Amino acid sequence: MIWYYLIRRLFLLSFVFFALTCFAFSLGYLFPGDPLVNFSGISQPDDELLPVLVQQYRLEQGYLQQYLAFLQRILQGDWGLSLASQQPVLHEIIRVFPATLELVSYALFISFVLGVPLGLIAAIKANHWTGRAISSIALLGYSLPIFWWALLMIMLFSIGLGWLPTSGRISVLYEIPVTTGFMLPDILMSGQTYWQAALQDAIRHLWLPAFVLATYPTTVMIRFTRDAMLSVWQQSYIKTARAKGLSRSQVLYRHGLRNAMLPVLRQLGLQFSTLVTLAMITELIFSWPGIGLWLLDSINQRNYPAIQGGLLVISSLVILVNILLDILYTLLNPLARKQVHG
Amino acid sequence: MAKFQWLQQKDELGPLSQLWHSFRQQHAAVLGLILFGFFALIAVFGPLITPYDPYLQNPDAVLLPPSWDDAGDVRYLLGTDDLGRDQFSRLIKGASYTFGIAFMTALGALLLGFLLGVLAGMSKGFRASAFNHVLDLALTIPSLLLAIIIVAILGPGLVNTIWAIMLALLPQFVHGIRNSILQQLEQDYVIAYRLDGANNWQILRYVILPNTWEQLTVLFSMALSTAILDIAALGFLGLGAQSPAAEWGLMVAEALDLIYLSPWSIALPGLLIFVAVLSVNLVSDGLRTAMRKRQES
Repeated sequence: MIWYYLIRRLFLLSFVFFALTCFAFSLGYLFPGDPLVNFSGISQPDDELLPVLVQQYRLEQGYLQQYLAFLQRILQGDWGLSLASQQPVLHEIIRVFPATLELVSYALFISFVLGVPLGLIAAIKANHWTGRAISSIALLGYSLPIFWWALLMIMLFSIGLGWLPTSGRISVLYEIPVTTGFMLPDILMSGQTYWQAALQDAIRHLWLPAFVLATYPTTVMIRFTRDAMLSVWQQSYIKTARAKGLSRSQVLYRHGLRNAMLPVLRQLGLQFSTLVTLAMITELIFSWPGIGLWLLDSINQRNYPAIQGGLLVISSLVILVNILLDILYTLLNPLARKQVHG
Repeated sequence: MAKFQWLQQKDELGPLSQLWHSFRQQHAAVLGLILFGFFALIAVFGPLITPYDPYLQNPDAVLLPPSWDDAGDVRYLLGTDDLGRDQFSRLIKGASYTFGIAFMTALGALLLGFLLGVLAGMSKGFRASAFNHVLDLALTIPSLLLAIIIVAILGPGLVNTIWAIMLALLPQFVHGIRNSILQQLEQDYVIAYRLDGANNWQILRYVILPNTWEQLTVLFSMALSTAILDIAALGFLGLGAQSPAAEWGLMVAEALDLIYLSPWSIALPGLLIFVAVLSVNLVSDGLRTAMRKRQES
């Protein structure tokens, strides 16, 4: 039964990837300019190169052949050159992508650690002032425009108090060799003599962007956890468990939280694409050298191969996270396993 | 607990009045509704009440702080920007841009999403399945990324970003409407009506629509808050409204170079975006609570 479900998901995944690559391929024609330039990133191919490229991209053949050639190049890792830097797009993405992943994962971590307990408190003390206060703060945080919030934080902590730096991942004083692309593990593995100072500096750079980016997912977690917990708390099995003599905390953990986290998990996937959008804006404001900043630069430079590559990578990430969460949800929830066809 | 409520007039009210009754009891939601109405009025009639032309530059009054500051000028209530344009007038004008256009965008997405959602909800088999898969794909592309791609194809500008935001909002509408229609189709009264000989159109018109409009309102209010945030964010990034438009997000971006000189010119437009989104969210939360209470009673 579960295998059948997994195969269905896999089929869905391949369909979505097919549609995504079709869309990315058609961008080569939709973007202004010559499709050959948009695909290859070579702005002025000379007379020798031109026939080779036309041959390689199968431009004189039909769209289907061109799409197949495109797919082949994507799988082989030939994503064209960036029009701005004339470097391979894939290399640039590999260089900037870990920074985004790092920022997003810290923000998600903060949102779990803060959001779930706060949401629980808000649900249990729904009519108490603590519950109301948490719900109100969550609503306020939910309504904040992130760029304004980031600027306010910069005005307060960087310009006003001077505690935290405003931009970048680490001070230029420290030279950290790139091994994984993730800053904190890289510093730990670097073996430099100043690694402790570098670590402190990197964490000081991390505070503001991670906190600003975490605001939205944290408030979303609070709201979802609270709503889910409120509806679970009215179920009869909670009353049964209480009547059997379990203590409040036992009921809360074994019967309440486990059931309440399921819908939260489900909603989380839908919120992930919003989180990526917010991460792109955060990166711009804090000059965090991630894929969002890179893409926003690319749009200003009309760097079409880079936009195409960025679309593929970011959408694939969101799709994968969605499908993984969906599978996780089905594995954890016996009720959902019955309805695999739905 | 269910109580006997024979003597209470509440039960004799229609569904809409019941909803309003429990909405009115939530003070925060009423406050949100008042703010929402205020923004809507400003967005429509704002251009008539601005003290100055929002684009008029006065070289003699550049970068004035708000009038309560010692260096402020009472003729410019909220000060001026770096070109000597009146902040107060620009902020009022911005309501038509950010709030008004977001409203139109969300409304357009609602209408289009409703059509597609009905088509998806009422169809079966392969068509419905293929539709779902396309929808899943559309839901995964982040709205900013979609806007970047549309801007890359069509070029920056307010109208192009409106299309981008509409496209980005569309999947959640289609999803929500489809789900509520499917939920309705499972109800016994739909089957009963079908047994009476009603066709698909009649079921949709007389049974499903009256039962889903509340869902539509909630979906719309959620989309509206997203639309305001997205328009402001795209304006801030320089992809949406272009200078000299008095769009709130763009105003924050233009004041970015002046962050040391005039922090208020960043704080004020952002505050308005925040309050506008907050008012929509308050109304949306209040509506949902009121709906839940009405269904429980």
